[in-house]
Amino acid sequence: MWREIGDREAGKLRPNSFSNRIKSNRIQTLQLSNRKDIVSPHRGSVNSLQVDLTEGRYLLSGASDASAAVFDIQRGTDYEGGGVIRKHKCLFMVDKQHEQGHKYAVSSAIWYPVDTGLFVTGSYDHHINVWDTNTTQVVMDFKMPGKVYRTAMSPLATSHMLIAAGTEDVQVRLCDIASGAFAHTLSGHRDGVMTVEWSTSSEWVLVTGGCDGAIRFWDIRRAGCFHVLDQSQSQLGRRPPILKRSATIKGSTAKSLSASQSSFAKARTPQTKLMNAKQSPVGKIPVKGSLKQRLHPGMLSSQDRATAHYGAVTGLKVTEDGMYLLSAGSDSRLRLWDVESGCNTLVNFETVRLQTSKPIQLATSQNLALVFVPCMTAVKAFNMWSGKTSLTFRGHYEHVNCCWFSLQDQELYTGGNDRQILVWSPSRSVSDEDEGPKDEDNWSD
Amino acid sequence: MEEEGGGKVRVLIEKATTSTEPEVDPRLLKAIKSVVRRSDSELRLAAHILMDLMKREHSQVRYLTLLIIDELFMRSKLFRTLVVESLDQLLTLSVGFRNNSPLPGPTNVATALRSKAIEFLEKWNASFGIHYRQIRLGFDYLKNTLKYQFPNLQANAARLQQERREREKKSKEILLNKFETLKKNFASMKEEIQSTADEIGECLEIVRAKEELLCPLDDEDMEEFHSYEFRQLRLHSLEEAEKIHENSENKVVFDALRELYKLLVMKHLVAVQEWISVLVRVELTDNRARDSYLKEFIDIRNHIRSVKKKCEESGCAIPNTTNHEEEDFWEEGKIGSIESKSSSIPNNRTEDSVASTSKEVLDRVPECHANERDGNKRLSRKDGATNSDPLRSKLLAEAPEVNWGSYLDNWGSKRDVLANHRGLELESHWGRVDQDAVIPAEKIAELNLQTTLYKEQQVEIQPCRAPLSKGELCQRRDLRTCPFHGPIIPRDDEGKPLNQNPSKDEKTPDLGTDIVEQLAKQAVKNVREKDKELARKREIDKKSLKRAKLAKVREHNEAVLRDAAMASTSRSVDIGEDWVATNGENRSSRNKKKALASMLQKKETPKDRLAQRLLNTRASAATVRQLTLGEDANYREAFPNQW
Repeated sequence: MWREIGDREAGKLRPNSFSNRIKSNRIQTLQLSNRKDIVSPHRGSVNSLQVDLTEGRYLLSGASDASAAVFDIQRGTDYEGGGVIRKHKCLFMVDKQHEQGHKYAVSSAIWYPVDTGLFVTGSYDHHINVWDTNTTQVVMDFKMPGKVYRTAMSPLATSHMLIAAGTEDVQVRLCDIASGAFAHTLSGHRDGVMTVEWSTSSEWVLVTGGCDGAIRFWDIRRAGCFHVLDQSQSQLGRRPPILKRSATIKGSTAKSLSASQSSFAKARTPQTKLMNAKQSPVGKIPVKGSLKQRLHPGMLSSQDRATAHYGAVTGLKVTEDGMYLLSAGSDSRLRLWDVESGCNTLVNFETVRLQTSKPIQLATSQNLALVFVPCMTAVKAFNMWSGKTSLTFRGHYEHVNCCWFSLQDQELYTGGNDRQILVWSPSRSVSDEDEGPKDEDNWSD
Repeated sequence: MEEEGGGKVRVLIEKATTSTEPEVDPRLLKAIKSVVRRSDSELRLAAHILMDLMKREHSQVRYLTLLIIDELFMRSKLFRTLVVESLDQLLTLSVGFRNNSPLPGPTNVATALRSKAIEFLEKWNASFGIHYRQIRLGFDYLKNTLKYQFPNLQANAARLQQERREREKKSKEILLNKFETLKKNFASMKEEIQSTADEIGECLEIVRAKEELLCPLDDEDMEEFHSYEFRQLRLHSLEEAEKIHENSENKVVFDALRELYKLLVMKHLVAVQEWISVLVRVELTDNRARDSYLKEFIDIRNHIRSVKKKCEESGCAIPNTTNHEEEDFWEEGKIGSIESKSSSIPNNRTEDSVASTSKEVLDRVPECHANERDGNKRLSRKDGATNSDPLRSKLLAEAPEVNWGSYLDNWGSKRDVLANHRGLELESHWGRVDQDAVIPAEKIAELNLQTTLYKEQQVEIQPCRAPLSKGELCQRRDLRTCPFHGPIIPRDDEGKPLNQNPSKDEKTPDLGTDIVEQLAKQAVKNVREKDKELARKREIDKKSLKRAKLAKVREHNEAVLRDAAMASTSRSVDIGEDWVATNGENRSSRNKKKALASMLQKKETPKDRLAQRLLNTRASAATVRQLTLGEDANYREAFPNQW
């Protein structure tokens, strides 16, 4: 570490790679945090976790007991064990007792991407509620045709305020907060939609994964879906060689951007940062869409029937640069798709088993090439390109449903059926365990 | 070097966990600890081996492993960090909370394993939970999600401590309050006591003055007695005279004195004692006030004692503080004496009835000791008197006991009774009556016939007391043979047979010969008993008719009941049980070679044994034969014309 600092000082190391090295070093030492305890007020399994995108400070959790809670993960509420353990109690919680609360399990709870003044919860009671954080009142309520599995809002959107909702119903609905009505109804899936995800490169592109095993790409400006991923279409390697040039462009822009960003003290989250950097792929997707458009409507029926997984698609995650898509299926497979070509990259992830009955929430950290996947009772971190397991996090006593990686603190949050929200943080290199009773050997004989 | 050491720890752990004992051998444990302490690599290896052992499909191995893990866990930090990594696995294997991986057999060890694991987890959480999130998580999960009951040892201890402290505090407060009231009331109390004491003094004065007035002549006589002995005698007599005797004149004074004495002793002295104890126990910031009070109280007590002594010396009061208990006692005694009186009524009749009734009374009123002693004396006297006649004593011994009743009034009287003679004027209301009508004595005797209920003698059935596998003794009570451990024989505290050989000869017969032997014994016994009965009958025939009747009835009942008892309980069953008994013997000997594998084998239950007997080929063949026979018969009956 000191050598790296020296290198940075001498200018041998660029600031971006310096910070990446430090971060990846810290991530390699991730372990169950003893000093940070999130006191879970939930009495049911935790289904959804998200740290807000603006400050990186407030953790929102949704649980099966129809409750959602918000925690401050930077500042603890009280201390225990002589100041060794910092407890984070929830700042507030909305549950069944709330007159506008949900009746059944909250399957998804997300922050409004622009600020922390609003959050959105989707529930099995067929409702999507939009809450005002400060008053904890429901400001908007959408009635859906079935159980809501997942809701998503675009982190890039500047021209729309749409909540994409995947429900039991075959149609994906887009709920407009501005008008309080359904803006779109996207039909194409042949079964319920387990998971929805907005593209991180274009604010118009939505990706949905259904129980029918299909992953569909939608351009919300046009009718119908423009692409269906097919697991039999595959490419070897990360990317066709043609695109080498654009990658270097991307690298240089990112470099210059992060250099300029370092002067602003973490004003915005990485996701929003990358928005500007990814102009070129954003421009490309509509072109590609229009190419396909010739076949549309209906596309080729064979193409329309393509599946990405055998069984249901339970989890989707677009990488931060928007170029790759990770999908998890009830066939216990994790697949990495190249969004550009729409091909399966054939990375063999060493998953053993995945939960099949519930949607799972994946997390990625792009520049460290890691993907965090809940695998039954453990969470595993895979290398995105090799598929090798790099870390395993065992701590939950029942199945893990969701995880969220906070790049800012290099912390991982996981929630499971055992009602717990666990914090995994880098082990402390500096031994500053002065306070509190010491943990020592105690040989009597 | 390391290989060698590693082998050592492996061998030690393997050895320690392949035992059927409920504890790890302390020497092995110590050896493991010392080996592991020396190097970290050994500790790592030990942790690895122990986790592997936890996966064995045998609860006993897991149990012993868990004990070793706990020992190391409480001592080594490195071991803790290693174990905590896979704590969920350890808990799965030791608590068995996952449905898909239940604890393996044997069940009793599995239960012990689970409770031990929960206990350990609580202990670990209390001592190291602060350093390991995993322990906290595991504890929280088992406690709040799965709702396991933790023994809660520490909390319980703390609660007890707290309770005790509160109790002490409360008692202290009470003492303080008492002290405060004492401060308030001290003067009045003291005055009261003083006045009582003064009054007693005055009373004594008066009595003494009177006495002196009564005998002023004594001094003159005194000169006449010169010799020492005489003087001595005289002194004694004077002393006697000093003890003023109550008479009609000073009766009032004595009554007052007695009252006051009672007041002093019963109230004041007790109160003062109590206050002293309060003062001794009370804790104050300022001890001077207390000390002064204490001093005063001690003075008062001494004063009261001296006054009391004076009173007692003067003889006005009987120094018996235990009067009250005695009174109670005497009341009970009175009841007893009345009963004894009533029981002595039939004294002048036959001895038999006396013996029986007084015994009855003794049984009924065992608490009146005086009476009992009396009765005993009387009985023994009687015995002494009758001992001279052996026949009579023999008869007495076997005499029947009859209940107390009014019919005993004319016990043994052979008079005829006038039927229509009750001494009433109304007698001939319904017409002429034969005043001389007589009920013959025999008829009276018949009318007076009493029913007696046979009371079975309560025999204390001894428990089997054979040693069990859990270390206790078998508490089953069977008459002769325990279905699990064979015949019941006297055993020592550890369950080992005391004198095996003779009892074996008598009670564990071999299959064939001994049944015959027993039957023969039984037959001989029966014949003898019958003979005895006959002899007894003859003897009794010589006695009075009623005696004979009574005895006959009783004898008959006894015989019938004896037979019944014999048929239902003792030998007849014993013969049937011989097979089981021998089988049990074999089993126990087999049990001795215990091994880990044998613990997993299913224990033989009574059901199994029954099945073995009922489902063996011979029995089933017999049943089948019988059934087919029955069917044949039915068929033939239904179709008699077919062959």
